Formats: sequence, C-alpha cells, structure tokens
Amino acid sequence: MQRSLPFQLFRYAAIALALAITLVPILWMVSMAFKPFSEWQSAGANLTWIPNAPTLDNFRFLFGDSGSDLIVALDRTAGKPILSSLLSATIGTVIAMTAGTAAAYGLSRFGSGANLPLALIQLRLFPPMAVMIPVMMMWAFLGLMDTWWGLALIYGIVTLPFAFWLMKTFFDDMPKEIEEAALVEGCSRLRVFTRVTLPMMAAPLAAAALFVFILNWSDYLIALLLTTREWVTIPVYMASLSSSMTGQLYGAKAALGLIAAVPPVILGIMIQKHLVRGLTFGALKQ
Amino acid sequence: MAEITFDNVSKRFGATVAVNAASFTVRDNEFFCFFGPPLSGKTTLLRLILGLEVPDEGRILIDGKDVTRTGPAARNIAMVFQNLALFPHMTARDNVRFPLVERGVPAAQITARLEEVAAKLHIGHILHKHPGQLSGGERQRVAIARALVRDPAAYLMDDPISALDARLREEARVELKRMQREAGRTLIYVTHDQEEAMSVADRMAILEQGVIRQIGTPAELYDRPATSYVAQLLGAPVMNLIPPGLFATRPGAALVGVRPEDLRVTPDPAGRAEVTGVEPLGGYTVLTLRAGESQLRVLLRGQPAFAPGQRLHLDAAEERLHHFAADGHRLAG
Repeated sequence: MQRSLPFQLFRYAAIALALAITLVPILWMVSMAFKPFSEWQSAGANLTWIPNAPTLDNFRFLFGDSGSDLIVALDRTAGKPILSSLLSATIGTVIAMTAGTAAAYGLSRFGSGANLPLALIQLRLFPPMAVMIPVMMMWAFLGLMDTWWGLALIYGIVTLPFAFWLMKTFFDDMPKEIEEAALVEGCSRLRVFTRVTLPMMAAPLAAAALFVFILNWSDYLIALLLTTREWVTIPVYMASLSSSMTGQLYGAKAALGLIAAVPPVILGIMIQKHLVRGLTFGALKQ
Repeated sequence: MAEITFDNVSKRFGATVAVNAASFTVRDNEFFCFFGPPLSGKTTLLRLILGLEVPDEGRILIDGKDVTRTGPAARNIAMVFQNLALFPHMTARDNVRFPLVERGVPAAQITARLEEVAAKLHIGHILHKHPGQLSGGERQRVAIARALVRDPAAYLMDDPISALDARLREEARVELKRMQREAGRTLIYVTHDQEEAMSVADRMAILEQGVIRQIGTPAELYDRPATSYVAQLLGAPVMNLIPPGLFATRPGAALVGVRPEDLRVTPDPAGRAEVTGVEPLGGYTVLTLRAGESQLRVLLRGQPAFAPGQRLHLDAAEERLHHFAADGHRLAG
C-alpha cells in the first residue's frame, strides 16, 4: 500500500518515540555499564547519557580484577553466579518443557474433564512465599540447598504449569485429523507423536521454552531462599553488589545486567522465526 | 480387494446416537457412497471402518475377518479426510511418500511409485512445496495422491472435492470414478451432494440421524424410494409430496409422491392447475403450479411457452406415482 510521505514520516516518528520510551532503561543500563567509577558514582552532579570515558572496568571488576579505581574488592567474582543461573535455568526449562509437553499432550488427547488441568495451576493460587518456605525445609532435608541441581529441580516444578498450559492450548488447537491420517497411514501412537505432532509443534515449543526460560532466568525469590553462597544466581548476586563505603555498585550492577540480558536475547534471535508463528499458532490452521 | 461388513454396529457419543444398529455389506471393488444431510452419521461410519472409533455394539468385518478391535494401522485402509489432513511441516513429496516410508517399503520402490502417482494426479511440479504454499485444488490432489500411493484394501474419502468449484468438481468426480475402476479397489465415498453421489456410486446408502434408511443402486433409490425421506433427498427439484386426491391413490396412502419430470402438463383453460412461477434454466424449465391446496414443481425439457396465471391440465402416469403411508414408508406394489 502506497502512503503519502507525511504519513510515513509521522509513522516513523511515532515508532521512534515509542521505542525511546520503552528502551530508555535499557539504554541507561548499557551506558552505565561502560562508565568509569567517577561517572556513575556521582550521578546527581554530572549526569551523562553517554560515557565520557568509556571503560570496561565494571566488567573487569565483576570478574575479580581490582585494577579499577574502585577501592572495594569483591569477595567472589560473577563467574560462578553466571554458571549457576545458566545451569539452573536451562535444566529447569528442560524439566518443565519435557514434563509439561508430555502432560499437555496426554491430557489434550486422552484426558477427560476440566478439573485436572486446573488442578495443575493450584500452586499459583498461593503467594509464592507460602509455598517456598516448606519447600526450603524439604530441600534442606534432601540436601538440595545451595546446589544448582536443587534450584534446577524447583525451577522445573514451578514453571511446569506454564509449560503445560501453553502446550495444551497448542495441542488443543491442532486439527486431530492430521494425527489420525498418520495413524491410518501406518504409524503407532508413539510414532505419530515423534514424526508428526512434535515437528508440527516446533514453533510453539520454541516459544514456550523461551517463555519458561525467561521466567527461570529472572527468578529472585526462590534462589534467594534456596541458595546461600556456593550457587547463588545472577539476581541474588546482583543484590549483593554493594559496599559500606560506596553504597550500591551501580556500574557493576549495570554490567552484570547487560550480561544477564544476553542469553534471552540470543535465544530470542535464534528462534525468532518460530516465535511469531508460535505465538499466533491458533490462527494458522491450514 | 475388500468386502466390508457391518453387523448391527452402533456408536454413541454421550447421549447422541451417531450410528444406530447399522448392518450392511460393501462389496469388493464397489464404488459405495454414504449420502445424507450433515450430522447424519456419514463421517462416523468412515471412522468406524478406519478403526479411529470403536463401536459400542456390533462387529465390523473386512474380508470376513473381524477387525472390530483392530487398530487403524493394521487395517490397511487409505483415507482422504474432509479437511485433507496433510502434514504441514512436510513437503508434498514427503506427504505422498509418508505411507510407504512408514511401512518400510524399499527406497527405489517408493520413488517409482511416487512418480507414477504424481503423474496420474498431475502434481509432479508442486512436489517440492509445502501444503501451505498450495492452492485448495492442489492440496486436494496431494491428499488423494497420499491415499493412492500404496495398495490398500479399500479407499475411504470424506467429501474430498467439496472445496472445488462446480466445474472442477464435475471433472474431479469423473476422474475419481475412472481411477477407482483402474485400481480395481473398493472405494467408500461420503458426500452431501446428491448429484455427485448418484453420478459416481455403484450403490449408495441413505442416512438419516444415524440410521441407514435404504441401500441400493442410485436408480433403485431414485425409482423406488423406501420412505418419503429418501424420496425427497434424491432428485432436483425435489419430489412433489402431496396429500392424496389429486391423482389416483391407493388405499392407505397418506402422501402421494411424483417426481417433477414425471408430471405431464397441457394448456387447458378449464384445467385444475394454475402456473404460479416459471424458471427457464436453458435446457430445462421448472414450472411451479398450484392445484387445489397443493404446490407442485414440474420439470420440462427446453423452454416451452408458459406464463404465470395460465391454467393447465395436470396428470401423471399411474406407474410413476409413489405412495407413502402415514409413517413415511412406501406402500408395496
């Protein structure tokens, strides 16, 4: 559709404005991550949008290089928390997606009644705190406190209802005749699932997995309660980035925030093709 | 090669009786048609034959073997679904190959068979595309190719050409009939289009709310409908069903049926019928008449000159009249 030039200009101006508003915090974080101590520490005095003297000091600081002009030193570096977050969020996502997809398929195809699917989200009816304290005691009893696998397990359990509900909607929307055609053409039930259903679900699976991963990746509360020292995750570690002398270490926090934004963004770009299709799956029946 | 027998088969979904005590036999190499209005149980019958549904009562036999509880994969029946059910993540080629690959047919044989079917259905040039990139007619041909590619005991088709426009449908049904003859296989076909059913079927079954009302050749059903329901389902314009009185009537008849083409009319100022409508259709003309309390439709060849308001003498040969009892059943004789 050919539109007039003023209209196009207005359109792009509106888009630019919307982007500016939504992206300001991100820009601010990026800018802060590259500012030297003197620029982020006294923000009120000389506010700068773009670092005057860009530096990687904040990143070096996070990984234990105290050569910066910061007078504080960290008692541990960001490496282990990043590893902890990666392990627990990834394995947690794998657990939630595997169990959630299997459960969603089973209930979508062979389930009866509406109560069971609803029961699966009853955990969400409680404030997370109410559920997490008993979990904390169980984890202590099981020796899962302050371990990445303990965290991965609880992430998998907590995000399972999301994975289940997302996938169930997708399975419900899939025309059943496609699976029946595969049955008639010689497939066993299991083979129908692996050869027809799963490949057709690639896009919804990718979208749901990203959603679940982001939930796990950005968790603070659970990690705060279930890890103490060895396997704290990025958000918990980030909260500890302060010192009595300088207060909050904003520069280091911004640098860590930037690092934390990388995995979801990479995942998002990797599955971008599937993402739009996944999120609009129901509308795309052929 | 398959003879498919239903022995008193019933299937219920909750309170709905989808198929009620159906007993019939589809003969080997027959082009058999299920015909009825929507929700009359046609699709459920197909699904029972396929093994996608298990009957609540009765037995299903294929070539004399009881398959009532046999799974779909073991029944060796090919199906074209109403919504085609192509695999959207596979190319047309992989869709057509699928039944052979799943049955472990050697690759060389698959390729040969694929080429043969693709040539027959003229889809060679679109095999590399995904279903989403194909037109409705192309998808239909790919779906039919997927059913034809292997050598099943019988083919089942659920209204497979309904998405085509009228002219293509006519071509497609002639083509289907020819392919069925050549393949020498049983073909069970579901349609809601009576003209399509009558033109392709060797025999057909008329369904009403899960009950098979009558089975026979199209000519038998047309000439000797067992009930007034069957009588009205076949033929266009539909059969005139009028209270007795206008024509010679047998005792016990509550309704007299006469097909529009069996009525004879001649201009007669003293006639008992009056023309109320004239629809010239080119080769045919449909007259709407009023005679007494009844309204009748008459099908005439060509374009005879009749005008609304004109009075006609109306009459029909005795042997072309159908007499139905109050419960709708045909009176013997």
